[in-house]
Amino acid sequence: MADTSTDNSSAAGIDLSQFYQVFFEEAGENLENMEQLLLELDITAADDEEMNAIFRCAHSIKGGAATFGFSDVAELTHQMETLLDKLRRHELVPTPPMVDVLLQSGDALKAMLGRHQGNGGEQVDTSELLTNIRAMVAGEAPPVAPVAHVPAPRVEAPVAQAAPVAAVPAGAAPTSGKRTVELRVGPLTDMSLADNLVELFKEIADLGTISALPDDPSLAGYRRFKVDTASNESDMLDLFTFHVAREQVTFLPFGQAVAAPVVAEPVAAPEKGYGFFDDAPGAPSANHVATPVVAAEAAQPKPVAPAAKPAAPKVDKPAAALEASTIRVSVEKVDQLINLVGELVITQAMLAQNSRGLDPVVYQQLVTGLTDLDRNTRDLQEAVMSIRMIPMSTVFSRFPRMLRDLANKLGKKVELVTQGEATELDKGLVEKITDPLTHLVRNSCDHGVEMPADRLAKGKPEVGTITLAASHQGGSIVIEVRDDGRGLNREKLLSKAREKGIDAPDSMTDAEVWSLIFAPGFSTADQVTDVSGRGVGMDVVKKNIASLGGTVEIDSAEGYGMRVSVRLPLTLAIMDGMSVGVGEEVYILPLSSVVESFQVSEEMVKTIGGSGRVVEVRDEYMPVVELEKVFQVPRFDYEHTSGIMVVVEAESGRVAMLVDELLGQQQVVVKNLETNYRKVNDVSGATIMGDGRVALILDVGSLVRRSRH
Amino acid sequence: MHSILAVDDSASMRQMVSFTLKSAGYTVVEAVDGQDAYEKAQGRSFDLVLTDQNMPRMDGISLTKKLRETAQFKTTPILMLTTESSDQMKQAGRAAGATGWLVKPFDPNKLIEVIQKVIR
Repeated sequence: MADTSTDNSSAAGIDLSQFYQVFFEEAGENLENMEQLLLELDITAADDEEMNAIFRCAHSIKGGAATFGFSDVAELTHQMETLLDKLRRHELVPTPPMVDVLLQSGDALKAMLGRHQGNGGEQVDTSELLTNIRAMVAGEAPPVAPVAHVPAPRVEAPVAQAAPVAAVPAGAAPTSGKRTVELRVGPLTDMSLADNLVELFKEIADLGTISALPDDPSLAGYRRFKVDTASNESDMLDLFTFHVAREQVTFLPFGQAVAAPVVAEPVAAPEKGYGFFDDAPGAPSANHVATPVVAAEAAQPKPVAPAAKPAAPKVDKPAAALEASTIRVSVEKVDQLINLVGELVITQAMLAQNSRGLDPVVYQQLVTGLTDLDRNTRDLQEAVMSIRMIPMSTVFSRFPRMLRDLANKLGKKVELVTQGEATELDKGLVEKITDPLTHLVRNSCDHGVEMPADRLAKGKPEVGTITLAASHQGGSIVIEVRDDGRGLNREKLLSKAREKGIDAPDSMTDAEVWSLIFAPGFSTADQVTDVSGRGVGMDVVKKNIASLGGTVEIDSAEGYGMRVSVRLPLTLAIMDGMSVGVGEEVYILPLSSVVESFQVSEEMVKTIGGSGRVVEVRDEYMPVVELEKVFQVPRFDYEHTSGIMVVVEAESGRVAMLVDELLGQQQVVVKNLETNYRKVNDVSGATIMGDGRVALILDVGSLVRRSRH
Repeated sequence: MHSILAVDDSASMRQMVSFTLKSAGYTVVEAVDGQDAYEKAQGRSFDLVLTDQNMPRMDGISLTKKLRETAQFKTTPILMLTTESSDQMKQAGRAAGATGWLVKPFDPNKLIEVIQKVIR
């Protein structure tokens, strides 16, 4: 624990630190939940249940933080809770700055929790946040001077006290209008704290006047003041809480009997921290009744508090229910499982291959068993792979916040729409796709969506829309980033490309023009902003996506917006491959890159400019890649009179690969060659075939590049 | 052995309370919210119910009310764990039929101390 400020971890001989991890995870979930709710919050029509849910997040973190001794976290969440409580009781109207400050507080809490977990990081300074929240809580008070006049707050953590004390006894005094009241402050450990209140009155003339009253010996630890004021009590309370906890302040009608019975009980309570209701079912016998004060008060005709209004039994965010039905497992364990299943798949394929020659009549039972094994292995593999699959919502969830901050910074109005959040993707891919997607979304907001005035002038809605959509298409997942902004300008792109010395003839198709933005160092914004930045360009985005086995495509309509589609394999661990034979060797081509295959005769292949060879396919010439030369393996057909061409496609074009035979299509378990051997050019990995032999998986992109340059 | 129904939507608090109670020799059944607790309370009895106040689906006050309507919980001690220590909350707790309250955060010793006052 890097920053634990209290030592209650050994209370009652129980080591509280054993619960820290659960608390951290839970607090993290609550923070995420709160952020999401805040972002979804429509402040013009805040739903009670939503406000309650947000309140509960802060409340829950506070409870845990206070229990486990993270007083800084408890202090900040306490203030957030105070604000949220006022909001959910409709005592305050939510405003965008409130949402901002709550979001910032959430960030601060994340950082604090990170520090407590020993992740390091800067000491988090929350004084400004606390000041802001307090000012907002006090916000409804027009006669009160601006907060800036108040001396820098030196605050006691009010949470730590947990005093079950009513701050303002109901009906004890009129709450506003010019009047004289007695202000009682305590119990205080440092009596001089109360002097700060006197200072406060000096600084804020509107507050009225204050003068000290003689200390009352029956009220040890209390200071008394006479206050002439026209401000209402809750406003004053809010100001006082800069110096003393809310629970320590009591207003009384001036001249009331000194030993006020109303205060007497609460003074005792903080030490006990519990109590039983008089005559309540199950209460201990009279001797044990600690503080029957509530019973006494209950006698007064006071309606039962509305505070306990039960939460609407609306379909709830299934946080609690989920928790009970999920377990946390380390990724390592899952990977080990996947690996073992991979081995099992290989063994099964081997058995299937060896049994092919057996007579099904003689070995009927064995063949049936092997068929079952085949099916079960496949199901098992699918089930195991699905463990690693996580929904895209985990990626998408970070964007509302990011986009909100970004749009604010740019002075734009942008709405984010997400579709297909439930679409699942391998965890490893999810982690790696986040950065490229972030870049694309930023680009859309920065360069795509226009300023509100420009949009209105063009007859578009003032608020721009950026859509993030994920869907499955075949064996891939397609993630689209769409915006309804200005789109790409063909002429601008072309002239820019020429400026950069890129060959850009007018005859280029639109798709080719759009893909110019992936060229290194290409930026289309007239001015480089600090948002999209200058460092990381679209070329890096494309490279990152390509390294995941994915592709990027752009569509654009000028004036209407653009769409960037990222296509990714579902998982990096298993791939649909086509196995081809070259001589004795077997190579695997990713099925997604195979376009077609055909038989060629020697005449169709032409030699150009020395060593290069091309093949004519439907009036189009395509470079030929001869795997026998790339990998130096002899072909069966060493006279090269015929062969099979497999056309493969990568981002930079198509090539035809000359092979001896097509062996078939199958799912292959991808093994990383780099970790097991070393990096090999033109090879992206390896797999073990059904017969136990190792086959190399070809890196089509690299082979295409090699042949076209 | 006395059995206690411990209700809290916070996993860390629930674990802490549960661990503390088990260390003191009680049998503990955990529930993640009022609704869960109410379901777990059907057809059996407990020597004590310890419930958080603010929870999703069903809060501590509603749980207390519903339990009091159930025959086997008419006289069972029900303690509310709460950070909202206002009189308003206590009023609501009392009106719902709670036995008493314990303010969060609390020391595990204090929890045992309070519990021993109501069950022996």
